[in-house]
Amino acid sequence: MIRAAAGGLVLLALLASSLPPAAADPIRGERVFQRCYACHSVATEEEHLPGPSLGCVLGRRAGTRPGFAFSPAMVEAGTARGLVWTRATLDAFLVDTQHLVPGTTMWIPGLTAPEDRRDVMDYLERTGPCPAEAAPSAIRP
Amino acid sequence: MRLVRPMLLACLAVLALWPAAAPAEIVRQSYALPAGGGSPHDVAVGPDGIVWYTAQRNGALGRLDPATGKVDLIPLGAGAAPHGVIIGPDGAPWVTEGGTNAIVRVDAKTREVTRWPLPEARGYVNLNTATFDKQGRIWFTGQNGVYGRLDPKSGAMQVWDAPRGRGPYGIATTPDGAVYYASLAGSHIARVDVETGAATIIEPPTKNQGARRVWSDSRGQIWVSEWNSGQVSRYDPRTVAWKSWRLPGDRPQAYAVFVDDEDKVWLSEWSANAMVRFDPQTERFEVFPSDRRGANVRQILGRPGEVWVPESGVDRLVVFRRK
Repeated sequence: MIRAAAGGLVLLALLASSLPPAAADPIRGERVFQRCYACHSVATEEEHLPGPSLGCVLGRRAGTRPGFAFSPAMVEAGTARGLVWTRATLDAFLVDTQHLVPGTTMWIPGLTAPEDRRDVMDYLERTGPCPAEAAPSAIRP
Repeated sequence: MRLVRPMLLACLAVLALWPAAAPAEIVRQSYALPAGGGSPHDVAVGPDGIVWYTAQRNGALGRLDPATGKVDLIPLGAGAAPHGVIIGPDGAPWVTEGGTNAIVRVDAKTREVTRWPLPEARGYVNLNTATFDKQGRIWFTGQNGVYGRLDPKSGAMQVWDAPRGRGPYGIATTPDGAVYYASLAGSHIARVDVETGAATIIEPPTKNQGARRVWSDSRGQIWVSEWNSGQVSRYDPRTVAWKSWRLPGDRPQAYAVFVDDEDKVWLSEWSANAMVRFDPQTERFEVFPSDRRGANVRQILGRPGEVWVPESGVDRLVVFRRK
């Protein structure tokens, strides 16, 4: 669905399947989230940060959180290419933001350790409450 | 840490002129960076004309000789993801090494890499930018909510909590030795007492403006690039007065700011994918669009007659030279 459709899906699936088994560690995930903390919050009421709130991010279409001025690249990824944040797509994004969404403002070196990505997603998944339409339980890959 | 063998790579220097936008006294030249040594985040040029840049996604410091176009890469070690680079009073490049939470010096001649890690108890602070004070101490910001000071002579390092938590981003020193930083998430600037370390918040007049970087002009006035509001603002410490100007365009986003030796104010403006020069005397902007889509200039530095910018999105360094 993103860029090179079929090939990309296979790659994402491989990435997801290569992750260590899910061992919920949101406490470690909160520590990993310090890599994100400068720009992002998980509190939905916390606005005016450089990045959008990541509360209820799983299940959300990219570039669509109300009230945040996303880059044209992120808006295009969500609207024209249908990018939705699942554990698989978020995992790929955290490895290389520019590969998944070329031109996005977000510029980080990437979380190269699979367990870091797994734990930070566990942490994000447990930050709520989320509105029903963005419930994480509905969007597992 | 000893220098790992430097990579020697040639790069192609491309003379590029944009006569439609560039005033006659400005000549622009671009330098394409080699694979494995691109993604330039910050850039610094020394008095000798050698240009250093942080190859953030490659964990290296790059060295460009503009006379030949030759690029050398100096690996900064496992886990490195350097953000900022400045030239110290010793002529060496100093790096805010965000990946490993350390201040790093690279010897300009031997290329030996020396590291000063932040205290472990501080955890990951997301190191951003640095500046030297007049006593030879390096001040730095950590975007997770800290700022700090390292005295390279003694090795003493102190780290303070920023008064409103996360946000400290750009930092600069005025000609009289005062240090100011901008808080992006906090939407303010702060003056740091270089002896006590205390930071005093100074509120810009525009709410939630997203103060991203700061620079000083020759009179010690502080210029601020505002990411959210798309303005450039000036703070005069003597009168405590502010003045703001909105950049051209429908929804400008001012990322970086630098004041050149003629007190002209340079900014990178993302919505137009352009560099912008502001003349405080005439209050007029000149726009220099990039010829490459998504240039994404995140920082600006120069020396008399030259303004250097890293085009992080297209792996180029670009210089604006005054004739």
